[in-house]
Formats: sequence, C-alpha cells, structure tokens
Amino acid sequence: MITLNVNGKTYQVNADSNTKMLWVLRDILHLTGTKYGCGIEICGACTILLDGEPVKSCDMDVTEGVGRHITTIEGLAPAHSSKLQQAWIAEQVPQCGYCQSGMLMKAAALLSRNPHPTDADIDSEMDNICVCGTYQRIRAAIHRAANS
Amino acid sequence: MKNAADTGTPSGRQSPAYSQSIEITTASELNRRQLMGLTAGLLLAFTIKDSGRAALAAGGPGVVAVNAFVGIGTDESITIYIGGGEMGQGIYSGLGQGVAEELMVDWTKVSVKPVDASHSWLTGGSSGISRHLIAMRQAGAVARDMLVQAAANTWGISTSLCKPVNGSVVNQVSGATLSYGKLAAAAAVLPVPAYGASGPTLTPDSQLRIIGKAVARPDIPSKTDGSAIYGIDVVLPNMVFAAVKHCPTLGGTVSGTITKPSGAIAVVNLGNAVAAVGTNTQQAFQLVNSVKVNWSIPASSKLIDSSLYATQQKSLLANGNPFTVQELGNVAAAFTAPKKVVDATYSLPYLPHACMEVLNCTVNLTSTTCDIYAPTQAPNLVLAQAISLTGLTAANIRIYPTMMGGGLGRKFELDYVTQAIKVAQAVKRPVKLTWSREQDMGNDRYRPSALIRIQCALDSTGNLIGWKNRIVSPSILFQRGAPGTSSDSQATEGSTDLPYGFGSRLIEYVRDPAAAPVGFWRSVGFGLNTFAVESAIDEAALAAGVDPLVYRQRLLAGNTRWLNVLNAAAALGNWSTKPPAGRARGIAICQAFGTIVAQVAEISATSPTNIRVYKVACAVDCGNAVNPNSVEAQMQGGILHGLSAAMFGQVKFAAGVPSVRNFSNSRVLRMREAPVITVSIINSGFPITGTGEPGVPPIAPAVANAYAKLTGTRLRSLPFYPNATMSDD
Ligand code: FES
Ligand code: FES
Repeated sequence: MITLNVNGKTYQVNADSNTKMLWVLRDILHLTGTKYGCGIEICGACTILLDGEPVKSCDMDVTEGVGRHITTIEGLAPAHSSKLQQAWIAEQVPQCGYCQSGMLMKAAALLSRNPHPTDADIDSEMDNICVCGTYQRIRAAIHRAANS
Repeated sequence: MKNAADTGTPSGRQSPAYSQSIEITTASELNRRQLMGLTAGLLLAFTIKDSGRAALAAGGPGVVAVNAFVGIGTDESITIYIGGGEMGQGIYSGLGQGVAEELMVDWTKVSVKPVDASHSWLTGGSSGISRHLIAMRQAGAVARDMLVQAAANTWGISTSLCKPVNGSVVNQVSGATLSYGKLAAAAAVLPVPAYGASGPTLTPDSQLRIIGKAVARPDIPSKTDGSAIYGIDVVLPNMVFAAVKHCPTLGGTVSGTITKPSGAIAVVNLGNAVAAVGTNTQQAFQLVNSVKVNWSIPASSKLIDSSLYATQQKSLLANGNPFTVQELGNVAAAFTAPKKVVDATYSLPYLPHACMEVLNCTVNLTSTTCDIYAPTQAPNLVLAQAISLTGLTAANIRIYPTMMGGGLGRKFELDYVTQAIKVAQAVKRPVKLTWSREQDMGNDRYRPSALIRIQCALDSTGNLIGWKNRIVSPSILFQRGAPGTSSDSQATEGSTDLPYGFGSRLIEYVRDPAAAPVGFWRSVGFGLNTFAVESAIDEAALAAGVDPLVYRQRLLAGNTRWLNVLNAAAALGNWSTKPPAGRARGIAICQAFGTIVAQVAEISATSPTNIRVYKVACAVDCGNAVNPNSVEAQMQGGILHGLSAAMFGQVKFAAGVPSVRNFSNSRVLRMREAPVITVSIINSGFPITGTGEPGVPPIAPAVANAYAKLTGTRLRSLPFYPNATMSDD
C-alpha cells in the first residue's frame, strides 16, 4: 500500500511502485481531470502540482508523491471558483477542453510564483500543447486573473 | 407541420448542394419516457431530412434522417435533445440559442443533452449549427405556440391576447401569468398546429435577442475543473483496461497464435492488431508491448512508401488520365499565345490528426445488452457497427457519445470502437480500450497528400486569360468503396467554382491510387487546394507586377461578398501600411463549406525553418454569426491548426511504416510561437454557414505569399519545416 495526499485527502493506493502518478490518479483514484496526451513529458496535459510546483505526472513514479502535497485540477478550488478558473470562463478559453486541466495547473503555479507575469513570462512558462489553439485566450485569462 | 427550407448558399459557390425538410410532431410516449424520465410535459420530435456531405462522407446513403427533441417539463425545465457531438465547436450553445430565441426565454434556461445514437447525426462538414439552427428555431416556435394555445384555452381568451414573456405566458387582459411548466401538461395533449408552407412565425432578424450574441458556452465551466467527462474518462464498475498494438507495418495482420503474457487478464487477436487487458491503462500499454506477435505482411504493404509515391505522383501529373472537373471558356486559345505563363507545382504531405484525446472506447456487453461510450463524430455508424458485431437489436444497444477531446475528422472512423466491442466479447467484463499516442499517430487515416500543378496564362497587361489546374491526390471516397468512375468532389473542393475572373479555366483531377489509409481531416480538400490556388494567384500577381491584393480585387470585380471579406482582412491587417523592418505580409482567401475567410499574415524569416508569424488578421463571412465569440474562437483555432500543419505537419511512409510516433516528431505550435490573431466578422445576411473548418485553409498560402514577398523565394511544398522535432526552437 502506498499512502498519498491528494487535494488534501489521504488515500491508500494499491499499485506497483513504478506505476506512473498519471495512471494512479486516473485509473485507481478516478480523478480523471488529469489527462493523458503523450506519455513522454511533452504535451503537459497531465500536469499536476507537487508541493505547489508543476510536474508532468505521466513520467513520475507514484512513489515520488509519497509525503508530498499533490494537487490536481479537481483540487484547485471548489466549483471552479478560483480567480483563474473564473478568468478562464470569462475569456471563454476552452474549445475541446482536453488540454485545459494541464494549462490551468501550469498557470496556477506561475501566478503563485509571479503574481503579475508579463506576456513574455507567460509565453516562456506556458509550454503545454493545445491542438485547438486556445493560447491567445489563455494568455488573456492569466492576465485577467492576475488583475482581479 | 411540414415545410422545406433551402439553406444552400445562394451564390452557389463552393457549397455542397443539399436540401433539407423539417417535420415536427408530438413525440411518442416511449420517447417521452426515455428522454424525460418521470418529468411530465410537452415533448416535440422533429425530423430533419437532409442530404449532404456528412452522409456522403460516411459512405452512407445520400439521405439521412435525423431527429431531435424539445421538451418543456412540468418542472419548468427546457431541454433540447440533439444528436450532434460537442468537440468544442460550440454546437450545444449554438442550437440552444435557437430554441431559446423562439421560446422567448433566457438562453441559459435551456439545457442541451445528447440523444441516443439512432437519432443522431454526423458531426462534420462544419454543418451542425448551420443545418440545424432553422429546425431548432422552428421547434422552439411550435412549442411556444402550443404553450400559448394552452394558456388561451385555460383563460378562455384568444391567443392574440396571450403573450409569451420570459418562460411564462401573460394574459394581456387580466395580467395573470402561467409559467411554461404549468402549461406543459395541457400543451402536451394539443395537436401540433397546422402551419402553412412557411412554418411557424419566427422572430424577425431585427428583434433577435439571443442569436448573434456572444453567449457563454455551457460546456466551458466543466472544462475548467476536471469534471467534463471525455470518452477516455469513462469509469464503469468492475471495469478492466485494454490497450492495442497494431502491426507496425500498415496492412499487416497477426499470423499464428498469440500467448498471453503473465499478468494479463486476456490477449485478443484483432486481425491487424492485438489487444492486452490489464488492471490499469499503463499496465495494459506495457502488457501489449510485451506480446510477441508474428506479423504477416502482404507485399502490397511495401508499396506504401513515400519515395515511391513521389515518383508515382509526378508521373500521374505528367501522364495520368484525368477527369475533367470543370471547363469554362477557351483554355487552349488562352495558352496559344500568352504574354506570360506562370507554371507552378505545389505539393502537400500526408498529415496525422493527433486529436489531443487519443482514440478510446468503453464497452459494457452482456448477453442481452450492449452499452458503448465513445468519443465519436458518428454515433449512428457506431450503432450500426454494434448491431452487426453483437447480433443484438438496436433496442438493446445504447450508444453514449461523450465529450470529445478533438475530433478533427478522425472520430468518424469506427476502428477503435470495433476493437473495444471485440475485446468486450472476449473478456466478458466492462472494458475501456485506449490507444497509446504512438498507436494513435501510427495508425491514422491520414489527410491525403496532393501534387497540384497550376498554369496561368497572362495577357500583355498582366490579366489572367487562362487557368489550368491539375490535381493528383488519393480519393478518400474511393478507398471507402466509391466506384472511382468519376471525379472526387472532396479531393477537388476549393479548386472549382472559384469566383475569380480567370478568363478561361480547366480543372482536372487524377486519382492517385496510393494505398496509404486516408481520411477526413479538418477542412478536407479545401486545405489542399487553397494552398495551391492562393499561391498561384500570388505568383500571377507578381508576374504581372501588381500588388497581390489589387490583383485579387480585379479578379473578383463584381463579387461584393468576396471583396468585402478580402478588403476587411486587408484593412485589419494594415495591408496599405509598410510592415516593420524585416517583415512582410501575405494574403489569401477561400470559401469553404459556404463560409468565406480571408487572412493576412505578417511574418519574418531568413529561411523556411525560422518563419515567425507575428500577426494574423482574419475576416470571416458565415452569413450571420450565431455566437460571435465562438466564431472568433473557431477562426483562432483553425488558423493555429492550419499553421502548425503548414510549418511542421507531415507523415512519411517507409515500406509501410509511418514516420510519426508522438508529438516528439509531430510538432505543433506552442504559445510562444503562436501569432496574435484578430478577427473581423461580417454579417452579410446570407444563409448561416459553419465555421469549424473554413479558418484552416488560407493560413498556409498567406504565409507562403508573405515569405515570397520577404525573400523572393516561393515555398511550393508543405511543410515549410520538414522533420521538425518538438525540441527544436
Ligand atoms: S501526457 Fe504527460 S506530458 Fe503529455
Ligand atoms: S482546448 Fe482542445 S487541445 Fe486545448
């Protein structure tokens, strides 16, 4: 049994130690907001926060999460109430929406480190892939959240 | 009530002809119970019969009957049940707006739910909103009239004294009100009114409150907190997880028996692939990779090869036996003694779809029932396939189309659904089958490649007098069983019926028999042909020594609709001003699926591999924008999708093995590489047409045209940056 703290709750997980965090979250804990896109740490759809820092869960062994605070999209705020989520809705960011959990986690980490990022800050930090092309609205939503 | 609404484009240009008729009736009690459960009330069923490209594309009959329902519950709920899939294109809000408009309620009061597959339509051809909006409005209007009639009956007054206001009917004599929910039961037993040929009265354009407004899409909040359920997120009790491995060589099949690796719940022979079943997705991926398979590879697989294809395309272009797609005027005469000839050949690669959500499907099969949860653009085809594979009747099969993490044309296909049903048959437990990204990219139905030659004859003043366009490209429809005895409208769309005054024209198509599997890719043939056409127009303008905008304006003289879009993009893109040092602008225009889009791209570059697109100005005329915010989003998305493809997109084949495996070697633009896009929407009043795809085609030629202006070098081959990887910057 592996003990994990996810979104403030403690879970006992029965998984091989080399199981990636992504699949523990999705297939065992049924926290399916964290997405699979590439499995090779490129797309960022699987981004979660580990003690507040963004990490790609597709290439992280579940054991690396032991004793750490794990935050997934489901734990960002109740009923999409965070400034960031409200900004996402105001800017009507998502299209298909599949990449957006990863984008929001990445943006949350950016704002906690840098509450008023410039366009350049946002561009260099937000390197996840969105096939639907929502980048411009993501940038606008991050500014909106920063200014609210 | 029955009437016909022709929503074809009156210009008749580049819009696939289709017609539709709408029939509205009270739904059966069975439907009422199925859809509304215990909620009593009024439920109207409407059938839209249309013939169109989606039906054609699916290889189905020319006509599909599709249905939708509008329900007014005694609990005050207003629900529309539709069969189109939400891929982020805003169909739920677009159609909800139509019903709300005519019911005269706040549009957020209307919820939209998918219907079961037997009532569903195909999602594609940018047609969901444009084809069904009028039907939604009529259904809303019929429901409104019946609620008003029920109120009039209750009060014993004429309907003319009853006014529908915000979810209630107001008695204009007494001031009393009755809510729709209170009237729903009485309305449900009324006959559907008989209307004349024009149908129920719809809100005049000048009084529209909801259609045309940037309403918030209802699917968005759930996409910000992880609660939206895509196909890949479906969880069923007692479910197991399957993964697939296809033969690495296209066309290969499993030979002999396969052994179950230790730890696996099952392995399943799927013909061209094997599946392994485990207790989570990662384990299933690992298990299937460890399955030892002897593949039998037919000789024909080796012929799926990009270098062979290149030779074959060239020879077909020179010597193939073409279908004449369109011939107008005396082309031969134009080319007999032209002052100048532009003769250019453009090539486009095969392309993977790479939807952000990989292919997946979840099936729960028992001896008497089958539930299928799939991100699919074609639920009714999934149903037909399930009937044929399970032997169950439609009544015992339920298809749940889920939210889609992108469809892009790939989720029309049935391969992944078929596999999931077969695995469910083998394991006799609920199973979710997921393709790894490598399987998804390596076993696609790729966008067809094309080799396109355009010859322009110019007179002594530089005017175009002749246009010859020969297209060599595989036929998606032929690969799906079309006879191949005529041209292919999808391979040639975007090349025919162009409103340019070419003087004379000859459009020819040569079918490329390449066996690489091809499929529908966002914007289909328009993406191929617009690159060639809009590049060639630019080359002709340069040969004539005329500004490319002015050259197009001359060729479009008299076509105000195209000119308005072209000029709006030019104005938005500051065409008349000098670009900053080191930059140049290029322009291109197309009409796809009825919608006209023009784009101006502003770029810098010193080589094709370091093209940087700073700005794209985009003008769009889709008749009227139902939701301008969604139209803008679709243009932004279409442009970035088209630009990623133009810059990097390609798949090559080596003796049957596709080159792309993952985003590592199938690069897409990231935020820091993405241009700033501005969109100008022109509400021309023409019939409403779709916007999911038409934003894609112009960007590639706009960038190539800017590059030619900047460097003097013409880029005639896509992608601009072949073999880019995700780590290159
Ligand atoms: S799934 Fe982890 S980076 Fe793509
Ligand atoms: S919204 Fe679809 S991939 Fe980003």
